[in-house]
Formats: sequence, structure tokens, C-alpha cells
Amino acid sequence: MVFVRPLLQRRLFSFGATQTHRNPHQQWSIKQVIKSNFADTLEDIKSHISNSEFVAVSLQKTGFFSAPWHRVSPFDTADTAYLKAKHAAERFQVLHFAVCPFTVRASKVTAYPYNFHLFPRDELKMEMPSCSFYCQTSSLRSMARQGFDFNSWINDGISYLSREQESAVKNQMLNPTLAKNVTKSTSTPSVADSVFIGRIKSRVKNWKKTYKCTSPSKDEALVRSLRKLVLGTEEYDSRPWMNIDVCSEHQAQVVVELLQEFADVVPLIVPAKGGVTQAVRVVLTSSEEDKDLLLRKLQNDEQELTKKVRGFREVIDLISASQKPVVVYGSLNDLTFIHSKFIAGLPPTVDEFMCSLRLAFPMVIDVNHLMKEIGPLRKVTNIPVAISYLKNQFFTPIDMVIPRQAMENEDTIHGQNVVKICELFAKLCSVLKIDPASVQSDEAKRASALEAYANIFSPFSTASEEPIDGDIKIWTNNTRTVSCEDLVFLWGFRDRVTAGVLKSLLQESHEAFFEEFDVRLVDNSCAIVVFWQRGLSKTFLNTMNNCSDMRGPLREMVSEGLRAAGYETYSRACRLGIWEATLADSLDKTLADSDSASESDSKTESSDSSWCTEWTINLDDL
Amino acid sequence: MRMRLRKHEWLRTTVLRACYCTFSSPFPQKHVTKSNFESAAADLKNHVKAADFVAVDLEMTGVSSAPWRDSMEFDRFDVKYLKVKDSAEKFAVIQFGVCPFRWDPLRLSFIAHPHNFFIFPAHDELPTDAASSSHDFLCQTSSLDFLAKYDFDFNACIRQGVSYLSRRQEDEALRRLNLRYQNELSQQVRDVPLVSMTDILFSERMKNRLSEWRDDLLKGTSGRSQFQGSVNDTNKQFQTLFYKMRPALSLNGFTSHQLKLTQLVTKKHFKDLASVRVEGESSCSQLVVVYTDSEADRDLLKVREHRLIQMPRTLSAYLSFWQKEVMDDNRRGAEMKIKATIGFRHIIDLLSSEKKLIVGHNCFLDLAHIYSKFLGPLPLDAEEFVSSVNKCFPYIIDTKILLNTNNILKQKMKKSKTSLSSAFLSLCPQIAYASKESCDLTFSSSVKVEVQVDDTRSSNWNFGVKHEAGYDAFMTGCIFAQACSLLGIDFKLYLPSENLAYNEKLWKHVNLLYLSWINGDIIDLSTGHRTAESLRCNDFKKWPTRILFENIVLVWGFPSKLKTGVIKDCISRVFGPTSVTSIYRLDETAVFVQFSEVNLVSDFLVVKETLERSHDALAVVHPLSKLLEGGNTCAASYETYKDICSSPISKVLFADQAEAVGIRGKTILVESKEELETKEQDTFHEETIANAKSVSVLQNKTGWKHTVKDASSTRPSSDEVIDSFCVAGVEQIRATSP
Repeated sequence: MVFVRPLLQRRLFSFGATQTHRNPHQQWSIKQVIKSNFADTLEDIKSHISNSEFVAVSLQKTGFFSAPWHRVSPFDTADTAYLKAKHAAERFQVLHFAVCPFTVRASKVTAYPYNFHLFPRDELKMEMPSCSFYCQTSSLRSMARQGFDFNSWINDGISYLSREQESAVKNQMLNPTLAKNVTKSTSTPSVADSVFIGRIKSRVKNWKKTYKCTSPSKDEALVRSLRKLVLGTEEYDSRPWMNIDVCSEHQAQVVVELLQEFADVVPLIVPAKGGVTQAVRVVLTSSEEDKDLLLRKLQNDEQELTKKVRGFREVIDLISASQKPVVVYGSLNDLTFIHSKFIAGLPPTVDEFMCSLRLAFPMVIDVNHLMKEIGPLRKVTNIPVAISYLKNQFFTPIDMVIPRQAMENEDTIHGQNVVKICELFAKLCSVLKIDPASVQSDEAKRASALEAYANIFSPFSTASEEPIDGDIKIWTNNTRTVSCEDLVFLWGFRDRVTAGVLKSLLQESHEAFFEEFDVRLVDNSCAIVVFWQRGLSKTFLNTMNNCSDMRGPLREMVSEGLRAAGYETYSRACRLGIWEATLADSLDKTLADSDSASESDSKTESSDSSWCTEWTINLDDL
Repeated sequence: MRMRLRKHEWLRTTVLRACYCTFSSPFPQKHVTKSNFESAAADLKNHVKAADFVAVDLEMTGVSSAPWRDSMEFDRFDVKYLKVKDSAEKFAVIQFGVCPFRWDPLRLSFIAHPHNFFIFPAHDELPTDAASSSHDFLCQTSSLDFLAKYDFDFNACIRQGVSYLSRRQEDEALRRLNLRYQNELSQQVRDVPLVSMTDILFSERMKNRLSEWRDDLLKGTSGRSQFQGSVNDTNKQFQTLFYKMRPALSLNGFTSHQLKLTQLVTKKHFKDLASVRVEGESSCSQLVVVYTDSEADRDLLKVREHRLIQMPRTLSAYLSFWQKEVMDDNRRGAEMKIKATIGFRHIIDLLSSEKKLIVGHNCFLDLAHIYSKFLGPLPLDAEEFVSSVNKCFPYIIDTKILLNTNNILKQKMKKSKTSLSSAFLSLCPQIAYASKESCDLTFSSSVKVEVQVDDTRSSNWNFGVKHEAGYDAFMTGCIFAQACSLLGIDFKLYLPSENLAYNEKLWKHVNLLYLSWINGDIIDLSTGHRTAESLRCNDFKKWPTRILFENIVLVWGFPSKLKTGVIKDCISRVFGPTSVTSIYRLDETAVFVQFSEVNLVSDFLVVKETLERSHDALAVVHPLSKLLEGGNTCAASYETYKDICSSPISKVLFADQAEAVGIRGKTILVESKEELETKEQDTFHEETIANAKSVSVLQNKTGWKHTVKDASSTRPSSDEVIDSFCVAGVEQIRATSP
């Protein structure tokens, strides 16, 4: 009896293993991009993006949620779902970012998948892009099982800065930059200005003269260094320069203007902290060619710096600049990550987020949303299952073509997901009779077809890479609509009470429970009660607040510490960012917080009630 | 850990390493991962038992969760503890070096057994229902980058790392398991009315399938193979196997709702089938439908008979008995899993139960990590923490303390740095350079250390890789052995039974740790007393005047362009040139301002508040307006800083943190002002405030000067204060008079 069990376990295990690695398709070769081959790849992907119709993206992160209740659940409204996604995006890091520009022609999909390995290395020593990030132990472990190389991730991952960070960095970096040419102001200069101009002009002339009359070859080292000391000049790329200190932007402008008279000098702006000009640096060039050389070098330097600063974000900028439709799976999760890592910090509300995102990516198509159009796919939560379902139910032969020469790291499987998204997208389009090719050919047609599906962020869709377990599926079986007002959160009961026990305890305790209601555990500490009859939640909450009219088990539970709160407390907890490990703790804290700060919040409360309207709940029978 | 301190000197060692690596072998040490943990732990147990002391070192995924949480001079001891606590709670330990040292009287040398454990948190390896809620840990980007530079093997850590579980987590997991088991016992599958059409269809199909399977079973083997053939397309969902020596059908790829329905079907329609949930290898449970043939089971029952008081006779009773057995089995399996997850904590338990002398280098943070990872949640204050640590590890010596506080060692060290690797190089060159010839001549007074890994001993090796916990622990142990010898402890005369910790030459150093190295705050683990290191100020660096925390105002949220000098200037112009003793920039959004007098703290807060309240155009002219520009500037006393530090939130910028914690400047300002004013016993203070407020009335009268004089005569030392009040008063008058 004892030794049968290991056999079984091994079997179960091997079965489980085949399940996780089940890949009905061939392994596609996906170009893995790290620090060393990033620059070359950038050129390739640029042309691929501009020649493709769509760009699919898929992210692998260091984690999904920190506590069970932090994951988006069916009872989340768009707001709370966004806040949860925001919390995750701010906490975790992107491990790799797969980008796949692709084109759909009839049943042929031509795709160019790339997988970029990202590490938020502090290249500029400015504690950017992020000082620290969270890792979910199980995520790392499952990545390790897939053979992900963490050493290479840290050593060779590409760094990046968000747009917001880049502009902050530019203000702090004190590299002199080429002064932009200014048009001569027509107004006559003021007395102070003309005095200043005269003084600077003679200073520059004198300084130039010393260099013109003495040929540098004759100089001895000592003389040269003495001159450096006396004149306070330095050499810029073996060219002499001097700084002209300025007190204001206006003076800087004046100096740059007057320097235009001298053909052989190049003016540079020396910035001070906070983006103001500290001085104008005058660099003397020996000839016209030398000047060109310097100008070109300066331009190159700036490009190099930008490249170093932006890192992987160049790719995001390319996608954004192309204005191509972006195809994702489980949009909310991935898009909050993209926004917070590469564009800017996440705004406090979902509406602001959508606006900001639309500026960068005008058209986002969530495959998950397309799947909802096909009834039975509604409850499917992962891509392979969806693909095989479509394969069995519809005749949608899709020919995936990945024109790619031999690759160096072909054994690696990372980033397969993005190709599957392309495939699924093409299949769905063909089933739904949407012609993806119309995107380019016919603007008007496109508006009617795909655009109907674009930019919709369904609050509840699991991330594509998230481990799939039974819990998700339970929730998506039947659909009934309920108002937020009819939901009550219950916590403070004994540890490990099941929803069923809780329901039977409640049933005999209060008149509100004589009608139909459902109980579900959100996490170990907290349950959600759905009152299918309107208004009963209020009765129940009143009873809980007044501690009156309680019977039997409920009375006992309340004396043991049972607490209850309506949906607004929950959404407040999300809004205030009280992300404790258990929902019970968070709700407790939120209530405590509202006691002290109720006054300031009463205003926001009223404005927020508008979203508390009808929404859809998917609740399974208990 | 100490990476911030050590960073600058890695270059030096790299150069040295490059010189020596040509003629010696790599540093021998035992690397321990999951695969060799059992045997290594058993070996280590013997070594620890025989050891005279055990050196330890930890590598973590980070040190500080936000720049403003870095250790600094303005840390009061309780704040410093909160910072350490925050760090230990958020970051994970990924490598643990344990190196027992034993004096070998025959070879007249120490034998060291360096062990380098790769460890990795294992919340997720617990059975699903026993897992506590924390699933993640923090990584500091710079720390990972830094460790990667030293060729740290993260893959070994994540793929092969030994798991760990604290005592508290273990208890919690077992408790959860028990509760769940009790629930399961009390409540079997409940009848659920089949409501939806799909459910009915599914149940019907399941019933057919199960009866088909059972009939095939009864027909014999040929039938079974036919069955398997018939369900070729779905054979991934149904698999026939043996469970507890009975034919069984395992169900895969169903939703848990479908499994529930199946359970109902088996219960309702099949008397000889039992459905049991089995904990699979993957954390999700699986359903197995087992055929129980009553005849075949009768023998089994007889065997069991003597063990059970009440023997279930009927078949249904038998089934439920059988299900309970499976449940017991599951529970035992889960318990085993929990026990297996304890992993590395067994080593900590060993160190604790053996009560050996533990040696670390600047190891307060290490201890906090050990506490939070292997014992339980960190206590709220340092005193409680220290006393619990002392109970667990009664003898701890910190080599950093030893080198900095003992006069003999200080002389020996001269003024060289006391970071781990530089101390190792300057104290134990014979081990560091490991060249035998010179060893005999030059370092005759040095302690000999040999390294033993498994059964091979060596005294000649290359430099180890720094920041590998095993090698760091070895270095720490060597420094300690050499320090003992320099203090005059003669190991030749030393008996193995003797406890080094009781040695009179070491006794006064035992259990002293740097709470904060920057401040020189030392804490005694056995008593909880704190002392400030007195001697270091003379030789280390010029020590600024002692920090008086009650004189400190925390200001944040001002325009980030504002330079520290400008802030100081602003405040000095209002409160007098000598009012600000020092100013410390916490980050670009916050500063600490230390005033020369306690009163100035509340005065500053009052002036700030009045300025903010008056929306007068002239308030712009006030010197402080520069600081208040933007309207987001907040100020509070030092206590607020402690509150903010104690929050689990970690925002990058301090101003964001304060906001996230929910401290708005205006409320805290009022509170702290009231608090300070009520605390103030001295009536003089209130008097001066009153004076300052009534300045406008008094200004034109001759009485003005008189009042000030009165006040100053009550406390002559506070002339400056009064002066500053005058300035403030005048400013206020300017601001308020039309």
C-alpha cells in the first residue's frame, strides 16, 4: 500500500509535466535580444514594424500579485481592477518583453517575433529606472523550470528609462549641448546688453588671437599648461575652449547670437542643475572641415547618450510612432506595466490612464475581448486552449510564417506566447469575419470592423502568463448581473471557514438571508456576500452596525469579531492603496482610516457613487 | 550585506586576486543546494558540535527599500531599528555562509569547514491551503547588479536553492492544515441541486462514462483495453491507474465545479465507487475515482480490525471510512511537505540549540534577517528584538566591534579600514596570501587556519570570491581567530571544553553589536543597553556636535530645486544666524534641520503655519516663502519621521512616502505643535510666543524692549532665541500690516 503511492505520484507528476509543456505547435524560433545584440536588432525591428500591419506584445513579469485578493476578480469594477493592475505594475518588474510585428494576408500570417530581456540596471547611476522591485517566488521558480537564465538576465538584460524619467534625467545631466541657432533679434539691445556684448566680443577676439598667433607645435608643455592656468581655458577634444559665464537665459541668448559672427567657433550650452544655463562654452575649431567634424561628433554623442538613456524604450517609441494597432492578451495587466515602465507613472484613475495610453498607442486590440464574441470561449483563460478550441470547432487554417535566418539561441522557448497571440488573433479575425488586411487598405472599412473591438479594457481578464488553476474557472460559469450596492464584505470569522459553512450559518441568522443570497471567499480572511434581492444588503449592514435584531450564530460571530462593510469600503481600500496581505486587514484599516479622515473624504464619496451602477458578476453555484 | 561599505575596495582585491590566482587552487568550500542538503546538513551537525565557534555571513537581495531609508547620522536608535526591520522584512536571504572553526591541538591550527548554502524562500512550496499570504520579496536593482559582478549564481539559487521556513510560518502552516482537515471531516460533499442544463448534461455524461469504466473493469482486462481505445481522444482526461492497490480512474483537465459534480455523481449512483481528492505533485488537487471491491477489501478490513474500536460494517460506512483514510493520507503528505520546506532552518535550529559562539562581521542586519526568516516576525522595538535574539543565540561576537573598540586590536589595525575584506588582509595576511614559505618566517605569530571540505584538507588556495557567503564567513572566522591570538588567548593552552565566550579577554566584547555603524551606537544583546562608542570620534573623523533629536524639524515637499544651503539661509534669516546647527539632506524632497534650541522647533512650526494661513500678498516677501513655495511644504518633529519609517510602504521619494503613509503636513503640524506646547513645562516658552505674537502691539511702545529684556533675564542664555523671535516678529508685522 505504501509503495503504490510514489508510483501514482510520479504518474500524476509526469502527467502534470506534459500538461504544462503541452505545445500543440512546433516551437517557433524567436530572436532573443540582450544588451549585446540590441543595437543591431533595433534596425531590423524598425523596418519590420513599419512594414507590418499589427504589433503583438506580451510581457513576462517577476510576479502577478502579492496576496490572493490583489488579483483582479469578477467582482471588481473597472476602477478597482485598474487600481489592482496599477499596484502590480508598480511593484513588479518586466523580465522579458516579446514584440512581434505581423501581417495577416488571407490565411497567412507573417510574423517577426523578438524577445527582449530587460533588467532595470541603473546605467546612469541615478537610481533609475527603479531602485527596487518585487519578485513573486512562484513566478521566478516557474521561470526557472522553463530554463530561464537569471544570471544572464541580470548581466545582459537591456535597461531602459520611461519618457518621464528621461526628461527628468535630461534636466539633471550636466553635459554641454550644442546651442541652437538663434535668429537675430530686431530690437536694439539695451545699454547693459551692448556693454556686455562689447566686453564679450573683445574677450573672444583676444582669446582667439592667442591661439592664432602661436602655432601649437612650437609650444612646450609647460607653456601650454601655463596658458591654461592664465587664460582659464581647456581643451575640448583637443580643441581649445573657454567658458563665458552667464547670469540669465537672456544673456546666454545674447552670447550665442554674438558668437555667430565668428565663423570658426562653436557655441555650447553648459547647463546647471534644474535646466538653467550656467555658461556658454566657446570651442575654437581650426578649419571649416574641423567645424563640421565637431558638429557631427556632437550630434553623434547626443544620439549615443539618448540611446543609452532610452535603452529598450526605443522599441516602445518605435511602436508608438508607427501608430500600428497593438495586439495584446489581457490588456489591463500588460498595458499598465507598459505605461508605468516606459511612459510615465500611472495616474490615479482608469480614465486618466486610458487617455494617457491612447496618446501613445491609439489602437489597442485585446484578443481576450475578441474571444468574448465567441460564446464558448468566454470561459477559456489561456491561449493554447483557445487555439485548440478554435481548431476543433472552426475551419480556420492559419499558416504561420516566420521568415528568419538561423538564430544563435534557438533552443530557448521564451516569448512563444507572442506568436500564439498573433495566431489566435488571426484565427479569431477569420472566425468573426473581420478582414485584418482592411486596416491598411480601407480606412473607412477598418473603422467599422476592428475598431469596434479596439481600446476596450475588460476589467476581468487574467494575464496570459499567469499560472492557471481551478479558481479562475469556477468564477466564469454563469453570469448574473448585480449592483455593487448588493455586495457586502464579511470578515473577522474563524479561520478556514468554508463559504458553504458560512452560508448555512448566515441563513438562520437574519431576515436578510431568507431571500436568495450567495457567499464566496475572497481570500482566507474575508468573504463576499451577494444579495440577489435589492436593498437587503442595506438592512443587513444596518443590523451589523446597530448590533440589534441578531439571532443565533450571527450574534455569536459578531461577538467573536465579525465585521461587515459595503462595496464602497472595498473600493476605498483600493483607492487609498491599503494593500495588506489579507483583505480583512485592509478593510479594517480602511474603516479605521475613514473614522479619522471622514470629513475630507465625504466630498469624493459623492462623486464616486456614479460608477456604483449595474455591472456583471460571474458567480458559480455554491 | 555590507556592500555599500565594501564597494570601493573591490578593485584592490581584484588586482590582488589576479596576482595570486596563477599559482594556487580556488578556495575550497562546500556549496550546498537542494541536491546535497541532507548529507551536508548531517556533516555540518558534527562539525558544529565539535566547533569552538561558528562564523556566519548572509547575502540578501537588497539592503534598503528606498534611498531615504539608507542608514545615516540622523538615525535615532529606534529609527535605526525600524530601518533594519524594514530591510529584513522586505528582502530575501539568498545565500548563507556557515563556517565552524575547531582548534586542532595536534596540528596546532584551526580547522575551518566553510559551507556556502544557496537558499531561496519557499512560501509557494507549501501545500496551497497551508500557505500564508506572503508570496513575494523585494530585490534592490543595484544589489543584484553588484552580486552579479561577483559572479553570484542566481540560477543555482532559484532552481536549486534550499527552501526555508520560519518557526512561526511552520506553526501557522500546520495550524491551517489542521483547521482544514477538521472542516473536511465535518463536512462531506453536500448535495447541490443541479440547476443549469449544462450541469445536468455533464452529470449524465459522467455517470455513463463511470459506469462504462466500471463495467469494463468487471469484465476483465480485455474490456479495459477496449475502454481505453474508445476514449482515445479524451484519454488525457481519464486515466486508469492503481490507487492504493485498487483500480482507479484519475480525472484531469476538469474545472473544480465539474469535479464537484463528478463527486456528487459517484456518491449518488455508484455504491462501489469512491471519489477522493488527492494532493498532486503540483499544488492543485486531483480527483481520483476508485473502485472498491468489497470482497477484496474484506481482508484489508480484517487486518485493520484490531486497530479500530468501531468497525464500519456496511459498504457505505466502509466507503466513508476509506475516504477518511485517504484524507489522513493527504494530511500526512501535506505535513511531510511542510516539514520538508523547513529546509535550511534546521541549520539555524542547530546553531541555536548547540549554543555555540556565533561570530559575524557588523552583523546586526544579519541577525534581523535570521530572526525574521527563521524565527518569526520581528518585534516592534529593538529591546524586545535584542532579548529574543539573546535567548536564541546567547553568545555572539561581532568582529567589527572587536576591531574598533579593543585598544590592542586598534593599535594592530593602526588606522586601516575595518570592512571585512580589508580587515582580513591586514590581520590575516598569512591566510589571505596563503604562501607557505613566507608564512613560517614573517607571520610566526599568526594563527594557522586549515580548510577542510569533506575529507580533504588544504592550507593553500586562491582568493575566494568575495561576497560569497561561505568565503565571507571564513574571513570573519579568521579575523576572529587572529584577534583572539592578538588579545593573548593561547590556543595551545586552551581546552576544548572551555567556552571561548567566557574567556576573560573576550567577555566584555561578547554580545555587543553596532546598532548603527555610522553613529557608533552599540547595543548590548544581553542587557538591551545602548552605549555610544566614545573613542572613535578622536581618530575616525571630526564628529559633529551630538545630535539632539528633539531639536530636529523634518521639512519635506519643498521645491526640489532648492539647495540645502538656500534652505539653511532661509531659516537662519528668520530665526537668527546661529539658530540652525546643522542641516541634512534626506533626499531631493526632504531635509532635517537641527536647531540650536528645542524651542525653535515649535517656533518654526508656528511661523510656518501662520505664514500658510495668511494669504497676504506680503507673505511672499517673508524669507521662509522660498521654502514654502508650491504650497506642498510640510514640516514636523522627529517623531513623525519615526512614524513614516515604521510604515511598510516604501516610495522612492520621501515626500511621496509621507503622502502615501497619510501624513499631511498641515494636520501633523497642528498636532505636533500642541504636543510640544503641552509637553513644554517651562512657562517661559509660552511667554515668548505670546511676546512674539504681541509684537505688533508693542512695537510702537517703549514697553517692547522692556518685555524682551524681562524675558532674557529669566534665561540669559537664550539671547539668540529672543533675537530670532524679534526677527520673526518683525517679519510677521511686515507680513500682516497693510
